[in-house]
Amino acid sequence: MITDRIEKIRQNYVNARPAISCERAYLWTESHKKTEGRQVAIRRAQAFYDTCDKLAVHIFDGELIVGAVGEFRKCGILTPEFSWLWVDKEMDGFDKRPQDPYVMTDEQRAFVRENIFPYWKDKSLEEAFLARVPEETYKIGVDTGVIDNDSKWRQAVGEVTPDYQDVLFVKGFGGIIREAEEKIAELDETVPDEMDKIIFYRSVILTSKGIIRFANRYADEAERMAAEQEDGKRKEELLRIAANCRKVPESPPETFYEAIQFVWFTQIGGILSENPLSLNPGRFDQYMNPYYEADRAGGIITEDLAQELIEALWLKYSEWVWTISANTADYFAGYNQFQNLTVGGRTREGLDATNDITYMALKATEEVKTHQPGLSVRIHADCPEEFLGAVTHLVSKGTGFPAIHNDSVGYQMLLNAGYEPEDARDWNNCGCVVPHYRKTGEWTAAVNVNFGCALEYALNEGKSRMTGEKMGLPEKPCRDFASYEEVKDAFYKQFENLCRHSIIATVTAQKLHQEMVPRPFLSSCIEACLEDGKDLSNGGAKYNVGPVITGIGLAVVANSLAVIKRLVYEDKVTTMEELDAALAADWEGYEELRKKAQAVPKYGNDDDYVDKIAIEIANWYYREIHQYKDVFGSPFNTAFMGISNYIPMGRVLGATPCGRKNGEPSSEGVSPYAGSDTSTPLAAMRSAAKVNQEIHSGGTLLNLRLNHDLVATKRGQANLGAMIQSFFALGAFHVQFNTLSSKLLREAQARPEEYKDLLVRVAGYSTQFVNLSKSMQDAIIARTEHAEF
Amino acid sequence: MAGGYVMNIQDFSVNDGEGIRTNIFLAGCPLTCAWCSNPEGQTLQNAMTSYMTVEEVTDKVKKQMLFYRMSGGGVTFSGGEATVQQEFLRCLAGRLYDMGISLAIETCGQFAFEEVRDILGKMDLIFYDIKHMDAGKHRTFTGISNEKILSNVSKTARLGIPLIIRVPVIHGVNTDGGNLERTFAFVKKEAPLAKLELLPYHTFGEGKYAELGMPLPPASFQTPSQGEIEAWNEAARKVGIETISYR
Repeated sequence: MITDRIEKIRQNYVNARPAISCERAYLWTESHKKTEGRQVAIRRAQAFYDTCDKLAVHIFDGELIVGAVGEFRKCGILTPEFSWLWVDKEMDGFDKRPQDPYVMTDEQRAFVRENIFPYWKDKSLEEAFLARVPEETYKIGVDTGVIDNDSKWRQAVGEVTPDYQDVLFVKGFGGIIREAEEKIAELDETVPDEMDKIIFYRSVILTSKGIIRFANRYADEAERMAAEQEDGKRKEELLRIAANCRKVPESPPETFYEAIQFVWFTQIGGILSENPLSLNPGRFDQYMNPYYEADRAGGIITEDLAQELIEALWLKYSEWVWTISANTADYFAGYNQFQNLTVGGRTREGLDATNDITYMALKATEEVKTHQPGLSVRIHADCPEEFLGAVTHLVSKGTGFPAIHNDSVGYQMLLNAGYEPEDARDWNNCGCVVPHYRKTGEWTAAVNVNFGCALEYALNEGKSRMTGEKMGLPEKPCRDFASYEEVKDAFYKQFENLCRHSIIATVTAQKLHQEMVPRPFLSSCIEACLEDGKDLSNGGAKYNVGPVITGIGLAVVANSLAVIKRLVYEDKVTTMEELDAALAADWEGYEELRKKAQAVPKYGNDDDYVDKIAIEIANWYYREIHQYKDVFGSPFNTAFMGISNYIPMGRVLGATPCGRKNGEPSSEGVSPYAGSDTSTPLAAMRSAAKVNQEIHSGGTLLNLRLNHDLVATKRGQANLGAMIQSFFALGAFHVQFNTLSSKLLREAQARPEEYKDLLVRVAGYSTQFVNLSKSMQDAIIARTEHAEF
Repeated sequence: MAGGYVMNIQDFSVNDGEGIRTNIFLAGCPLTCAWCSNPEGQTLQNAMTSYMTVEEVTDKVKKQMLFYRMSGGGVTFSGGEATVQQEFLRCLAGRLYDMGISLAIETCGQFAFEEVRDILGKMDLIFYDIKHMDAGKHRTFTGISNEKILSNVSKTARLGIPLIIRVPVIHGVNTDGGNLERTFAFVKKEAPLAKLELLPYHTFGEGKYAELGMPLPPASFQTPSQGEIEAWNEAARKVGIETISYR
């Protein structure tokens, strides 16, 4: 049962609108003004320290876990060192934009325009990227919806899993400082390479001191509040909080409560350092359970208190808000920070890993219904029935959580990316559906590439259908294609070009990050960075896995090619010329032809005719991307993951041969095109599993909607469990379910005020339905609802 | 190769037996129930049925083996009345039985028991419908008397295969005059180990009537409430019958 305290905090989370705090940006800027000319790593680290030293402390009502990024309880921060341009351009409309609005006052706007932005002019990552990216790549890749990587130059990378098991809980930041000092003592400053390492260790010492200082200021505040507090119980709580903050994160935690406060301070350090996407708590049940067991054995914690603390942490994860541009928000909709927390699976040795905390994490999400953390589970073939039962029970609650992953395919994906077997078995999720690890540096969402555009340019002489602008390579008119093979080759030619520019955009950004974005705080959470004296941005991690390029629109392109193959070249019921005219007219006046196109088999119905085309494209995509290497010499990786990217990428795409109209959403991950998987969810699963998922090390995603009736009973949930295990036996990696009725969603759309806490799965993550724009809501309702028969 | 008329093969069926199942709806029925939700099953050949060989049906079913294994599911023969196309059913049941697939059948009980005994013997579960205890009313609503149906209950029960008696519960047909209570007493006597599943009347089949150009069931047929179903379940349990729901 949820406690009154947690329910109060939850109500605030559900009802408060997120607001922007300018404090971090101001302190960061003031610090940089004083460090001109010094090494960039030192400047960033000093800014981090100064922020930790001065950022106002806030202990909110009833909190058990403390630490805030700004003055508001639901709060986003600004990071002008990455980008201020878009903020300047967009902030006047922050509270009015359709997706992810923020509260910001006129005073705040005037303040940042006067005191913060002028300093960063010509100094931000965004400006440097726009200045350096080649013209042709700029044209295709900046705010176009064709290829998109703005989250890597308007934002920090994020995409890190702090290593609690081998670094943080073992050493504490105090221990990290001592080790860094020892390392410096061993290094020779006359050797250029060692000089760089000394700079790195100095930066780590600064950030470590910063986070310790931050915690101690919270201890001071808690003591001050305790002295003034008249309520004896709260006074005691505040003193306990003070003691926790004195101890962690400087020293290793010794109790469950200290450990959970440590986790939050680490998260706050990451947020203040770069406003990251996907700062993953990782395998929470694995590193927290030893403390829970010990505390239970020692009689110093009850199950109820531990549950309350976990729920308090869930609310903390959800209260800070990722501040992003309108363009980014289209791709990552729903105030989602992608803090992925993984439970279940196997241990490094290969044994079942579930424990008490595994179940408490599932229960916490059921009780508080927060959109964070992104709760993921790993299911293996021999996983306990109780665990599968708990997972399907949570699915039946309709929150879209958890994201359900195949333990052994995650393992295979990491083996494919070059991991050692034990490490590969220890994987956690990153962001939405990327198999990841706590000793990894990787850009897991480097670029989104719009497959549909490649087909459009092939069929439309290299031009966008909507704008008429030449965006692709030159091509002959499509009526001159003599065979299906020619059409396919033309598609691959355009596709290859989009892949090429994706690589160029990524490497351009990577080089800039090496120069401009050292990450001392997050590097201090990664073992090999500390051992080798090398920042994450310079490849300091044990595994530097190549950036992930996400393919959008697999189903749309496979369905479209199937239509061309069948109707034009096999059955000859139409010509390329007529089809082209139909697409140019957005199917207006070609309703009969559109019906025929819609009747051609669609991906997602277990029909080999079209599924084979999808497999061929996916395999080709892997080979094409995998041949390129990044700045660390690691091969690029592919993914078919979700996020909300299929909506903006559909918006720029004209009508497609599959029957889709101008601007309608594209398709996500390896999911069928919305509404076209008309057979059964089993058929959709079989189609998706035909794609060789284990080679796409950046993750694959299948979203399905089930009628709530199907999973309302225990028996229904058991069948769902069997369905998941069947899908995984076919070799698939991920599946996630929305189990809300369309009726309920329409009601929520009409009366959002009554449905503020309704969580739905967008793609790879869940968020509050009412926080999605109208077009996103419609797209979710449109996904086929698999009713019972 | 043997073949027959199929109304539909429905994968991912979860309400007619254990686990995830495929329902094979075979066309043809000796009854013409006035409330029928699958009117396309009343005749062998019509706009909504198609001829399939045993091979074709088996190929389709084979693809779902994994889901049966993982869920403890299998195949359920339904209709129409599955035993009408006796040879087709015999071939299909034999083939799927040899593949190790768990089988169930849903029957109205209007068959010559000795002729279908071997087929029923291959089943892991039998759903057996009792629509009305009164022979006259049975004839009014279904076109035939219930004599054979009732006499086949005890024979079927003696096969020793788990048996579920299904009663479609329809206001305006079989809920008045103590009919359900008489049904329960009959079940307790003739098939003491059978379980009971009450199925509330639904109108999901109405679209099919339009497609087939048939007049709709009378509007006087009404769906009982959840509370009424629960009360009858309770009454059945009182006389010692175990109730079950595949929801």
